[in-house]
Amino acid sequence: MIRIVTLDRMDPSDLAFLTGTLYRAFGVGTEHAGEKPAPPEAETKDGRLDAVKLLREVAPVRSLPDDKVLYITSAPLALASGPLGEPPCWGFADLGGERAVITTSKLPQRGVTEASIEAWRQRLAREAIHAIGHTWDLHHCYDARCAMHPSWSQGLPANPDKELCSFCREKSERKIRLAKT
Amino acid sequence: MRGPPVRHPDDQREQLPAVEGTIADASEMKPGDRVVYPNQGVCAVVGVEEKDIAGQKLQLVRMRREEDGAAVLVPKNKVPSIGLRRVATGEQMEGVFHYLAAQFDDPELDWKVRHRDNADRLIAGGVLGVAEVVKGLHSLSRIRPLPTKEREQYDNARHLLVHEIAVSLGVPPVLAEDYVDYALMPPAGVKFTLKPPPTPVLLPSRPKKKRPVVEDDDLGLSDLGIDIDLSGALEAAVPEPADGEAAQGTEEAGGEEAAQEGGEEEGAQEIVKPTAPLAAKVTPQPQARQKKAPAAKEKAAAKKPTPKKPAPKKPAPRKPAATKGPAKKPHPPKTTAKRGGKKK
Repeated sequence: MIRIVTLDRMDPSDLAFLTGTLYRAFGVGTEHAGEKPAPPEAETKDGRLDAVKLLREVAPVRSLPDDKVLYITSAPLALASGPLGEPPCWGFADLGGERAVITTSKLPQRGVTEASIEAWRQRLAREAIHAIGHTWDLHHCYDARCAMHPSWSQGLPANPDKELCSFCREKSERKIRLAKT
Repeated sequence: MRGPPVRHPDDQREQLPAVEGTIADASEMKPGDRVVYPNQGVCAVVGVEEKDIAGQKLQLVRMRREEDGAAVLVPKNKVPSIGLRRVATGEQMEGVFHYLAAQFDDPELDWKVRHRDNADRLIAGGVLGVAEVVKGLHSLSRIRPLPTKEREQYDNARHLLVHEIAVSLGVPPVLAEDYVDYALMPPAGVKFTLKPPPTPVLLPSRPKKKRPVVEDDDLGLSDLGIDIDLSGALEAAVPEPADGEAAQGTEEAGGEEAAQEGGEEEGAQEIVKPTAPLAAKVTPQPQARQKKAPAAKEKAAAKKPTPKKPAPKKPAPRKPAATKGPAKKPHPPKTTAKRGGKKK
Protein backbone atom coordinates (compact mmCIF):
# COMPACT_ATOMS: atom_id res chain seq x y z
CA MET A 1 0.00 0.00 0.00
CA ILE A 2 1.22 3.49 -0.79
CA ARG A 3 0.27 6.12 1.75
CA ILE A 4 0.48 9.76 0.76
CA VAL A 5 1.15 12.24 3.53
CA THR A 6 1.03 15.94 2.81
CA LEU A 7 3.22 18.35 4.72
CA ASP A 8 1.28 21.33 3.35
CA ARG A 9 -2.28 21.77 2.21
CA MET A 10 -3.04 20.29 -1.20
CA ASP A 11 -6.03 20.40 -3.50
CA PRO A 12 -8.14 17.23 -3.02
CA SER A 13 -8.59 16.84 -6.77
CA ASP A 14 -4.82 16.83 -7.23
CA LEU A 15 -4.53 14.18 -4.54
CA ALA A 16 -7.23 12.10 -6.19
CA PHE A 17 -5.39 12.29 -9.50
CA LEU A 18 -2.14 11.31 -7.78
CA THR A 19 -3.58 8.32 -5.94
CA GLY A 20 -5.14 7.04 -9.16
CA THR A 21 -1.89 7.44 -11.07
CA LEU A 22 0.22 5.68 -8.42
CA TYR A 23 -2.27 2.84 -8.28
CA ARG A 24 -2.05 2.37 -12.03
CA ALA A 25 1.74 2.64 -12.05
CA PHE A 26 2.50 0.07 -9.36
CA GLY A 27 -0.72 -1.89 -9.02
CA VAL A 28 -0.91 -1.40 -5.28
CA GLY A 29 -3.55 0.42 -3.30
CA THR A 30 -2.93 4.11 -2.66
CA GLU A 31 -4.56 6.42 -0.17
CA HIS A 32 -4.15 9.82 1.39
CA ALA A 33 -3.04 9.24 4.98
CA GLY A 34 -3.49 12.79 6.24
CA GLU A 35 -1.36 15.83 6.84
CA LYS A 36 1.67 16.12 9.09
CA PRO A 37 3.84 19.08 10.03
CA ALA A 38 7.32 19.38 8.56
CA PRO A 39 9.93 18.63 11.23
CA PRO A 40 11.73 21.80 12.37
CA GLU A 41 15.02 19.87 12.62
CA ALA A 42 15.06 19.53 8.87
CA GLU A 43 15.06 23.27 8.19
CA THR A 44 18.31 24.64 6.84
CA LYS A 45 19.68 28.17 7.10
CA ASP A 46 18.56 29.10 3.60
CA GLY A 47 14.93 28.18 4.31
CA ARG A 48 14.98 24.85 2.54
CA LEU A 49 14.31 21.47 4.08
CA ASP A 50 17.11 18.94 4.35
CA ALA A 51 15.61 15.94 2.57
CA VAL A 52 17.62 13.34 4.45
CA LYS A 53 16.80 14.83 7.86
CA LEU A 54 13.19 15.32 6.89
CA LEU A 55 12.70 11.62 6.18
CA ARG A 56 14.45 10.72 9.40
CA GLU A 57 12.58 13.14 11.66
CA VAL A 58 9.12 13.38 10.16
CA ALA A 59 6.24 12.02 12.22
CA PRO A 60 5.47 8.43 11.24
CA VAL A 61 2.13 7.23 9.97
CA ARG A 62 0.55 3.91 10.74
CA SER A 63 1.74 1.43 8.16
CA LEU A 64 2.33 -2.25 7.51
CA PRO A 65 5.76 -3.78 6.74
CA ASP A 66 5.63 -3.50 2.93
CA ASP A 67 3.88 -0.14 2.83
CA LYS A 68 5.49 2.87 1.24
CA VAL A 69 4.93 6.37 2.57
CA LEU A 70 5.22 9.34 0.26
CA TYR A 71 5.53 12.80 1.79
CA ILE A 72 4.72 15.84 -0.31
CA THR A 73 5.95 19.30 0.57
CA SER A 74 5.84 22.64 -1.16
CA ALA A 75 9.10 23.78 0.45
CA PRO A 76 12.28 23.40 -1.59
CA LEU A 77 14.46 20.47 -0.58
CA ALA A 78 18.20 20.48 -0.01
CA LEU A 79 20.75 17.69 -0.31
CA ALA A 80 24.26 17.38 1.02
CA SER A 81 26.86 18.57 -1.43
CA GLY A 82 28.77 15.85 -3.27
CA PRO A 83 32.25 15.76 -4.80
CA LEU A 84 31.04 17.79 -7.80
CA GLY A 85 28.52 19.97 -6.00
CA GLU A 86 24.92 19.75 -4.88
CA PRO A 87 22.58 18.00 -7.28
CA PRO A 88 19.17 19.61 -7.78
CA CYS A 89 16.58 18.00 -5.55
CA TRP A 90 13.10 17.16 -6.81
CA GLY A 91 12.66 14.45 -4.25
CA PHE A 92 14.43 11.93 -2.11
CA ALA A 93 13.80 8.35 -1.00
CA ASP A 94 15.22 5.49 0.98
CA LEU A 95 16.47 3.03 -1.62
CA GLY A 96 14.52 -0.15 -1.00
CA GLY A 97 13.12 1.46 2.12
CA GLU A 98 9.80 2.77 3.26
CA ARG A 99 9.81 6.54 2.96
CA ALA A 100 10.10 9.05 0.16
CA VAL A 101 9.57 12.77 -0.14
CA ILE A 102 8.93 15.02 -3.13
CA THR A 103 8.66 18.76 -3.47
CA THR A 104 6.28 20.77 -5.60
CA SER A 105 8.57 23.80 -5.52
CA LYS A 106 10.40 22.78 -8.71
CA LEU A 107 7.30 21.93 -10.70
CA PRO A 108 6.07 24.35 -13.34
CA GLN A 109 3.46 26.87 -12.19
CA ARG A 110 0.13 25.22 -11.55
CA GLY A 111 -1.74 28.12 -13.10
CA VAL A 112 -5.48 28.35 -13.44
CA THR A 113 -6.14 26.97 -16.91
CA GLU A 114 -7.08 23.36 -17.36
CA ALA A 115 -4.03 22.72 -19.50
CA SER A 116 -1.59 24.14 -17.00
CA ILE A 117 -3.22 22.28 -14.12
CA GLU A 118 -3.08 19.06 -16.12
CA ALA A 119 0.60 19.63 -16.94
CA TRP A 120 1.31 20.31 -13.27
CA ARG A 121 -0.47 17.15 -12.19
CA GLN A 122 1.33 15.08 -14.77
CA ARG A 123 4.68 16.32 -13.55
CA LEU A 124 3.72 15.81 -9.91
CA ALA A 125 2.68 12.25 -10.71
CA ARG A 126 5.98 11.63 -12.50
CA GLU A 127 8.00 12.79 -9.51
CA ALA A 128 5.84 10.70 -7.18
CA ILE A 129 6.36 7.59 -9.33
CA HIS A 130 10.09 8.34 -9.45
CA ALA A 131 10.35 8.59 -5.66
CA ILE A 132 8.20 5.54 -4.98
CA GLY A 133 10.23 3.66 -7.62
CA HIS A 134 13.34 4.21 -5.53
CA THR A 135 11.62 2.64 -2.55
CA TRP A 136 11.09 -0.43 -4.76
CA ASP A 137 14.84 -0.58 -5.41
CA LEU A 138 14.70 1.03 -8.83
CA HIS A 139 17.75 2.97 -9.95
CA HIS A 140 17.82 5.88 -12.33
CA CYS A 141 17.13 4.91 -15.92
CA TYR A 142 18.93 6.19 -18.99
CA ASP A 143 15.70 6.23 -20.98
CA ALA A 144 14.41 9.81 -21.04
CA ARG A 145 10.84 8.56 -21.51
CA CYS A 146 10.96 6.57 -18.28
CA ALA A 147 9.77 8.09 -15.02
CA MET A 148 13.02 6.91 -13.39
CA HIS A 149 15.12 9.20 -15.60
CA PRO A 150 16.79 11.91 -13.49
CA SER A 151 14.47 14.89 -13.19
CA TRP A 152 17.16 17.46 -14.01
CA SER A 153 18.40 15.76 -17.16
CA GLN A 154 18.72 17.86 -20.28
CA GLY A 155 17.29 14.98 -22.27
CA LEU A 156 13.99 15.19 -20.42
CA PRO A 157 11.21 16.67 -22.57
CA ALA A 158 9.20 19.67 -21.38
CA ASN A 159 6.23 17.48 -20.49
CA PRO A 160 7.80 14.15 -19.60
CA ASP A 161 5.90 10.89 -19.51
CA LYS A 162 4.85 9.51 -16.18
CA GLU A 163 5.26 5.89 -17.24
CA LEU A 164 8.00 3.45 -16.33
CA CYS A 165 10.00 1.80 -19.09
CA SER A 166 9.53 -1.94 -19.56
CA PHE A 167 12.72 -2.82 -17.66
CA CYS A 168 11.84 -0.66 -14.66
CA ARG A 169 8.23 -1.83 -14.68
CA GLU A 170 9.24 -5.47 -14.70
CA LYS A 171 11.78 -4.93 -11.96
CA SER A 172 9.30 -3.10 -9.75
CA GLU A 173 6.64 -5.75 -10.39
CA ARG A 174 9.13 -8.44 -9.39
CA LYS A 175 9.94 -6.60 -6.18
CA ILE A 176 6.30 -5.99 -5.39
CA ARG A 177 5.50 -9.64 -6.00
CA LEU A 178 8.27 -10.71 -3.65
CA ALA A 179 7.34 -8.15 -1.05
CA LYS A 180 3.69 -9.11 -0.80
CA THR A 181 3.20 -10.86 2.49
CA MET B 1 34.70 5.77 -34.84
CA ARG B 2 37.50 5.33 -32.36
CA GLY B 3 37.04 2.51 -29.92
CA PRO B 4 38.33 2.36 -26.38
CA PRO B 5 41.94 1.38 -25.81
CA VAL B 6 42.82 -2.29 -25.85
CA ARG B 7 42.38 -3.58 -22.33
CA HIS B 8 43.91 -7.01 -22.58
CA PRO B 9 47.49 -6.79 -23.69
CA ASP B 10 48.71 -10.37 -23.47
CA ASP B 11 52.33 -9.40 -23.00
CA GLN B 12 51.58 -7.56 -19.77
CA ARG B 13 49.56 -10.34 -18.22
CA GLU B 14 52.02 -11.14 -15.53
CA GLN B 15 53.05 -7.62 -14.58
CA LEU B 16 49.62 -6.16 -13.96
CA PRO B 17 49.44 -4.14 -10.78
CA ALA B 18 46.73 -5.13 -8.32
CA VAL B 19 43.83 -2.78 -7.80
CA GLU B 20 44.44 -0.37 -4.98
CA GLY B 21 43.17 -1.74 -1.69
CA THR B 22 43.10 -5.38 -2.75
CA ILE B 23 43.34 -7.71 0.21
CA ALA B 24 46.29 -10.01 -0.35
CA ASP B 25 46.02 -12.01 2.84
CA ALA B 26 43.10 -13.07 4.99
CA SER B 27 45.01 -12.04 8.11
CA GLU B 28 44.51 -8.40 7.03
CA MET B 29 40.79 -8.76 7.68
CA LYS B 30 39.42 -8.12 11.12
CA PRO B 31 35.87 -8.45 12.40
CA GLY B 32 33.98 -5.26 11.66
CA ASP B 33 36.02 -4.38 8.57
CA ARG B 34 34.08 -3.41 5.48
CA VAL B 35 35.25 -4.98 2.27
CA VAL B 36 33.97 -5.11 -1.28
CA TYR B 37 33.32 -8.52 -2.75
CA PRO B 38 33.41 -8.23 -6.55
CA ASN B 39 29.95 -8.55 -8.08
CA GLN B 40 28.37 -8.86 -4.63
CA GLY B 41 28.84 -5.51 -3.02
CA VAL B 42 29.94 -4.22 0.33
CA CYS B 43 30.28 -6.84 3.04
CA ALA B 44 31.15 -6.58 6.71
CA VAL B 45 33.63 -9.11 8.05
CA VAL B 46 32.10 -11.13 10.88
CA GLY B 47 35.03 -13.37 11.70
CA VAL B 48 36.88 -16.59 10.91
CA GLU B 49 35.33 -19.94 11.63
CA GLU B 50 36.28 -23.55 11.08
CA LYS B 51 33.90 -25.90 9.31
CA ASP B 52 34.04 -29.55 8.48
CA ILE B 53 33.21 -29.86 4.81
CA ALA B 54 33.45 -33.20 3.00
CA GLY B 55 35.78 -34.56 5.63
CA GLN B 56 38.10 -31.58 5.45
CA LYS B 57 38.46 -28.95 8.08
CA LEU B 58 38.33 -25.60 6.34
CA GLN B 59 38.93 -22.18 7.77
CA LEU B 60 36.31 -19.82 6.41
CA VAL B 61 36.00 -16.08 6.60
CA ARG B 62 32.39 -15.21 7.35
CA MET B 63 31.06 -11.97 5.94
CA ARG B 64 27.65 -10.35 5.89
CA ARG B 65 26.47 -8.52 2.82
CA GLU B 66 25.33 -5.13 4.05
CA GLU B 67 22.62 -4.66 1.49
CA ASP B 68 20.47 -7.61 2.55
CA GLY B 69 22.36 -9.33 5.35
CA ALA B 70 23.19 -12.41 3.26
CA ALA B 71 25.96 -14.59 4.68
CA VAL B 72 29.09 -14.97 2.55
CA LEU B 73 31.67 -17.64 3.45
CA VAL B 74 35.06 -17.63 1.77
CA PRO B 75 37.83 -20.17 2.41
CA LYS B 76 40.71 -18.36 4.02
CA ASN B 77 43.21 -19.48 1.40
CA LYS B 78 40.95 -18.22 -1.41
CA VAL B 79 40.83 -14.67 -0.12
CA PRO B 80 43.79 -13.40 -2.19
CA SER B 81 42.42 -14.83 -5.42
CA ILE B 82 38.78 -13.69 -5.38
CA GLY B 83 39.58 -9.98 -5.58
CA LEU B 84 38.32 -8.83 -2.20
CA ARG B 85 39.27 -5.22 -1.64
CA ARG B 86 38.77 -2.49 0.85
CA VAL B 87 36.04 0.11 0.32
CA ALA B 88 37.33 2.93 -1.86
CA THR B 89 38.72 5.95 -0.06
CA GLY B 90 37.40 9.47 -0.45
CA GLU B 91 40.30 10.34 -2.72
CA GLN B 92 39.59 7.39 -4.99
CA MET B 93 35.92 8.36 -5.06
CA GLU B 94 36.78 11.86 -6.14
CA GLY B 95 38.72 10.36 -9.03
CA VAL B 96 35.70 8.25 -9.92
CA PHE B 97 33.46 11.31 -10.12
CA HIS B 98 35.96 13.18 -12.23
CA TYR B 99 36.09 10.15 -14.49
CA LEU B 100 32.30 10.00 -14.72
CA ALA B 101 32.02 13.68 -15.51
CA ALA B 102 34.76 13.61 -18.15
CA GLN B 103 33.88 13.50 -21.82
CA PHE B 104 32.39 10.28 -23.11
CA ASP B 105 34.60 7.92 -25.06
CA ASP B 106 33.14 6.27 -28.09
CA PRO B 107 31.73 2.98 -26.86
CA GLU B 108 33.07 -0.38 -27.97
CA LEU B 109 30.64 -1.52 -30.65
CA ASP B 110 31.45 -5.22 -30.69
CA TRP B 111 29.04 -6.62 -28.11
CA LYS B 112 31.09 -9.74 -27.40
CA VAL B 113 34.20 -7.78 -26.55
CA ARG B 114 32.20 -5.21 -24.67
CA HIS B 115 30.26 -7.68 -22.59
CA ARG B 116 33.34 -9.69 -21.69
CA ASP B 117 35.40 -6.61 -20.86
CA ASN B 118 32.62 -5.27 -18.71
CA ALA B 119 32.34 -8.54 -16.83
CA ASP B 120 36.09 -8.46 -16.22
CA ARG B 121 35.96 -4.86 -15.09
CA LEU B 122 33.23 -5.61 -12.59
CA ILE B 123 35.31 -8.40 -11.10
CA ALA B 124 38.85 -7.10 -11.23
CA GLY B 125 38.69 -3.40 -12.06
CA GLY B 126 38.08 -1.96 -8.63
CA VAL B 127 35.66 0.89 -8.09
CA LEU B 128 36.94 2.63 -11.19
CA GLY B 129 36.26 -0.50 -13.22
CA VAL B 130 32.65 -0.46 -12.05
CA ALA B 131 32.43 3.22 -12.94
CA GLU B 132 33.85 2.40 -16.36
CA VAL B 133 31.08 -0.11 -16.97
CA VAL B 134 28.41 2.37 -15.94
CA LYS B 135 29.85 5.12 -18.05
CA GLY B 136 30.56 2.90 -21.04
CA LEU B 137 27.06 1.46 -21.15
CA HIS B 138 25.54 4.85 -20.46
CA SER B 139 27.39 6.33 -23.42
CA LEU B 140 26.23 3.41 -25.55
CA SER B 141 22.64 3.96 -24.45
CA ARG B 142 22.83 7.44 -25.97
CA ILE B 143 23.38 5.82 -29.34
CA ARG B 144 20.87 2.97 -29.09
CA PRO B 145 18.84 1.22 -26.40
CA LEU B 146 20.79 -1.49 -24.60
CA PRO B 147 19.89 -5.14 -25.17
CA THR B 148 18.37 -6.95 -22.21
CA LYS B 149 21.56 -8.58 -20.96
CA GLU B 150 23.50 -5.36 -21.05
CA ARG B 151 20.63 -3.47 -19.51
CA GLU B 152 20.85 -5.87 -16.60
CA GLN B 153 24.61 -5.53 -16.48
CA TYR B 154 24.22 -1.75 -16.46
CA ASP B 155 21.72 -1.94 -13.62
CA ASN B 156 23.95 -4.30 -11.62
CA ALA B 157 27.01 -2.11 -12.14
CA ARG B 158 25.05 0.95 -11.11
CA HIS B 159 23.80 -0.86 -8.04
CA LEU B 160 27.34 -1.85 -7.01
CA LEU B 161 28.71 1.63 -7.67
CA VAL B 162 25.94 3.41 -5.82
CA HIS B 163 26.32 1.23 -2.75
CA GLU B 164 30.09 1.57 -2.64
CA ILE B 165 29.85 5.34 -3.01
CA ALA B 166 27.21 5.44 -0.30
CA VAL B 167 29.44 3.48 2.09
CA SER B 168 32.58 5.38 1.16
CA LEU B 169 31.06 8.86 1.48
CA GLY B 170 28.68 7.95 4.29
CA VAL B 171 25.55 9.11 2.46
CA PRO B 172 22.26 7.35 1.67
CA PRO B 173 22.30 5.29 -1.56
CA VAL B 174 19.77 7.49 -3.38
CA LEU B 175 21.92 10.52 -2.68
CA ALA B 176 24.94 8.61 -4.00
CA GLU B 177 22.96 7.85 -7.13
CA ASP B 178 22.09 11.53 -7.51
CA TYR B 179 25.81 12.31 -7.33
CA VAL B 180 26.54 9.74 -10.02
CA ASP B 181 23.89 11.07 -12.37
CA TYR B 182 24.79 14.65 -11.61
CA ALA B 183 28.24 13.80 -12.97
CA LEU B 184 26.97 11.71 -15.88
CA MET B 185 24.11 14.01 -16.91
CA PRO B 186 24.74 17.50 -15.56
CA PRO B 187 21.79 19.89 -15.68
CA ALA B 188 21.71 22.65 -18.28
CA GLY B 189 24.23 25.39 -17.58
CA VAL B 190 26.35 23.38 -15.15
CA LYS B 191 30.01 22.95 -15.98
CA PHE B 192 32.50 21.21 -13.77
CA THR B 193 36.13 22.07 -13.32
CA LEU B 194 37.56 18.61 -13.67
CA LYS B 195 40.89 17.16 -12.73
CA PRO B 196 42.45 14.64 -15.08
CA PRO B 197 40.64 11.37 -14.44
CA PRO B 198 42.63 8.45 -13.00
CA THR B 199 43.99 5.85 -15.37
CA PRO B 200 41.88 2.71 -15.52
CA VAL B 201 43.49 -0.41 -14.17
CA LEU B 202 44.70 -2.91 -16.74
CA LEU B 203 42.81 -6.13 -16.50
CA PRO B 204 44.31 -9.59 -16.65
CA SER B 205 43.68 -11.55 -19.83
CA ARG B 206 41.19 -14.32 -19.72
CA PRO B 207 42.73 -17.76 -19.91
CA LYS B 208 42.25 -18.96 -23.44
CA LYS B 209 40.73 -22.34 -24.16
CA LYS B 210 43.35 -24.98 -24.76
CA ARG B 211 42.86 -26.42 -28.20
CA PRO B 212 44.04 -30.00 -28.83
CA VAL B 213 47.27 -29.91 -30.79
CA VAL B 214 46.94 -31.93 -33.97
CA GLU B 215 50.14 -33.09 -35.62
CA ASP B 216 50.71 -31.69 -39.08
CA ASP B 217 50.67 -34.97 -40.94
CA ASP B 218 47.79 -36.44 -39.06
CA LEU B 219 44.71 -35.04 -40.74
CA GLY B 220 42.41 -37.46 -39.04
CA LEU B 221 41.88 -39.42 -42.23
CA SER B 222 42.73 -42.71 -40.62
CA ASP B 223 39.69 -42.27 -38.38
CA LEU B 224 37.59 -42.02 -41.51
CA GLY B 225 39.06 -45.19 -42.92
CA ILE B 226 41.08 -43.35 -45.56
CA ASP B 227 44.72 -44.15 -45.95
CA ILE B 228 46.54 -41.82 -48.29
CA ASP B 229 50.26 -41.39 -48.61
CA LEU B 230 50.74 -37.80 -49.67
CA SER B 231 54.43 -37.72 -49.07
CA GLY B 232 55.17 -39.15 -52.48
CA ALA B 233 52.90 -36.71 -54.18
CA LEU B 234 54.52 -33.78 -52.44
CA GLU B 235 57.94 -35.11 -53.18
CA ALA B 236 57.24 -35.55 -56.84
CA ALA B 237 55.17 -32.49 -57.55
CA VAL B 238 57.13 -29.86 -55.68
CA PRO B 239 60.80 -29.22 -56.12
CA GLU B 240 62.73 -29.46 -52.90
CA PRO B 241 63.68 -25.79 -52.34
CA ALA B 242 60.09 -24.71 -52.84
CA ASP B 243 58.82 -27.40 -50.47
CA GLY B 244 59.23 -25.20 -47.42
CA GLU B 245 57.37 -22.34 -49.02
CA ALA B 246 54.53 -24.54 -50.16
CA ALA B 247 54.26 -26.05 -46.76
CA GLN B 248 54.27 -22.63 -45.24
CA GLY B 249 51.48 -21.54 -47.56
CA THR B 250 49.40 -24.53 -46.55
CA GLU B 251 50.07 -23.90 -42.93
CA GLU B 252 49.19 -20.26 -43.28
CA ALA B 253 45.86 -21.24 -44.69
CA GLY B 254 45.45 -23.71 -41.88
CA GLY B 255 46.48 -21.04 -39.44
CA GLU B 256 43.80 -18.72 -40.74
CA GLU B 257 41.22 -21.41 -40.35
CA ALA B 258 42.43 -22.07 -36.85
CA ALA B 259 42.26 -18.38 -36.09
CA GLN B 260 38.72 -18.23 -37.42
CA GLU B 261 37.69 -21.19 -35.36
CA GLY B 262 39.37 -19.62 -32.38
CA GLY B 263 37.49 -16.43 -33.08
CA GLU B 264 34.23 -18.32 -33.09
CA GLU B 265 34.98 -19.96 -29.81
CA GLU B 266 36.74 -17.23 -27.93
CA GLY B 267 34.81 -14.25 -29.11
CA ALA B 268 35.82 -11.26 -31.09
CA GLN B 269 39.03 -10.60 -29.22
CA GLU B 270 40.72 -12.72 -31.81
CA ILE B 271 39.09 -10.68 -34.51
CA VAL B 272 40.32 -7.40 -33.16
CA LYS B 273 43.96 -8.27 -33.45
CA PRO B 274 44.25 -11.36 -35.59
CA THR B 275 47.81 -10.81 -36.72
CA ALA B 276 49.62 -11.55 -33.48
CA PRO B 277 48.02 -14.92 -32.63
CA LEU B 278 48.22 -15.90 -36.30
CA ALA B 279 51.92 -15.23 -36.42
CA ALA B 280 52.38 -17.14 -33.20
CA LYS B 281 50.56 -20.12 -34.61
CA VAL B 282 52.15 -20.06 -38.03
CA THR B 283 55.82 -19.69 -37.28
CA PRO B 284 56.54 -22.92 -35.46
CA GLN B 285 54.58 -25.09 -37.87
CA PRO B 286 56.77 -24.80 -40.97
CA GLN B 287 59.69 -25.89 -38.83
CA ALA B 288 57.82 -28.99 -37.82
CA ARG B 289 57.04 -29.67 -41.45
CA GLN B 290 60.64 -29.14 -42.47
CA LYS B 291 61.81 -31.54 -39.81
CA LYS B 292 59.49 -34.24 -41.02
CA ALA B 293 60.26 -33.71 -44.68
CA PRO B 294 63.47 -35.83 -44.75
CA ALA B 295 61.67 -38.80 -43.26
CA ALA B 296 59.01 -38.53 -45.92
CA LYS B 297 61.70 -38.25 -48.53
CA GLU B 298 63.31 -41.45 -47.37
CA LYS B 299 60.01 -43.24 -47.40
CA ALA B 300 59.29 -42.06 -50.90
CA ALA B 301 62.77 -43.01 -52.07
CA ALA B 302 62.33 -46.50 -50.72
CA LYS B 303 59.05 -46.98 -52.50
CA LYS B 304 59.87 -45.28 -55.79
CA PRO B 305 63.15 -45.73 -57.50
CA THR B 306 62.41 -42.99 -60.10
CA PRO B 307 61.46 -39.73 -58.44
CA LYS B 308 60.27 -38.17 -61.71
CA LYS B 309 57.46 -40.67 -62.06
CA PRO B 310 54.09 -38.88 -61.93
CA ALA B 311 52.87 -39.20 -58.40
CA PRO B 312 49.08 -39.54 -58.92
CA LYS B 313 49.62 -42.93 -60.53
CA LYS B 314 50.86 -44.47 -57.34
CA PRO B 315 47.71 -44.13 -55.28
CA ALA B 316 45.63 -45.05 -58.31
CA PRO B 317 43.61 -47.87 -56.70
CA ARG B 318 42.38 -45.40 -54.08
CA LYS B 319 41.18 -42.82 -56.55
CA PRO B 320 37.81 -42.12 -54.95
CA ALA B 321 39.53 -41.37 -51.69
CA ALA B 322 42.25 -39.40 -53.45
CA THR B 323 39.69 -36.85 -54.58
CA LYS B 324 39.51 -35.83 -51.00
CA GLY B 325 43.28 -35.76 -50.94
CA PRO B 326 44.12 -32.02 -50.72
CA ALA B 327 45.13 -31.25 -47.20
CA LYS B 328 42.64 -28.45 -46.61
CA LYS B 329 39.48 -30.18 -47.70
CA PRO B 330 38.82 -32.46 -44.74
CA HIS B 331 38.43 -29.44 -42.47
CA PRO B 332 35.16 -27.93 -43.72
CA PRO B 333 33.03 -31.05 -43.15
CA LYS B 334 34.36 -31.18 -39.58
CA THR B 335 33.31 -27.62 -38.84
CA THR B 336 29.95 -28.16 -40.49
CA ALA B 337 29.37 -31.15 -38.28
CA LYS B 338 30.34 -29.11 -35.23
CA ARG B 339 27.94 -26.35 -36.13
CA GLY B 340 25.18 -28.82 -36.75
CA GLY B 341 25.87 -30.23 -33.33
CA LYS B 342 25.74 -26.86 -31.68
CA LYS B 343 22.40 -26.05 -33.25
CA LYS B 344 20.87 -29.14 -31.77
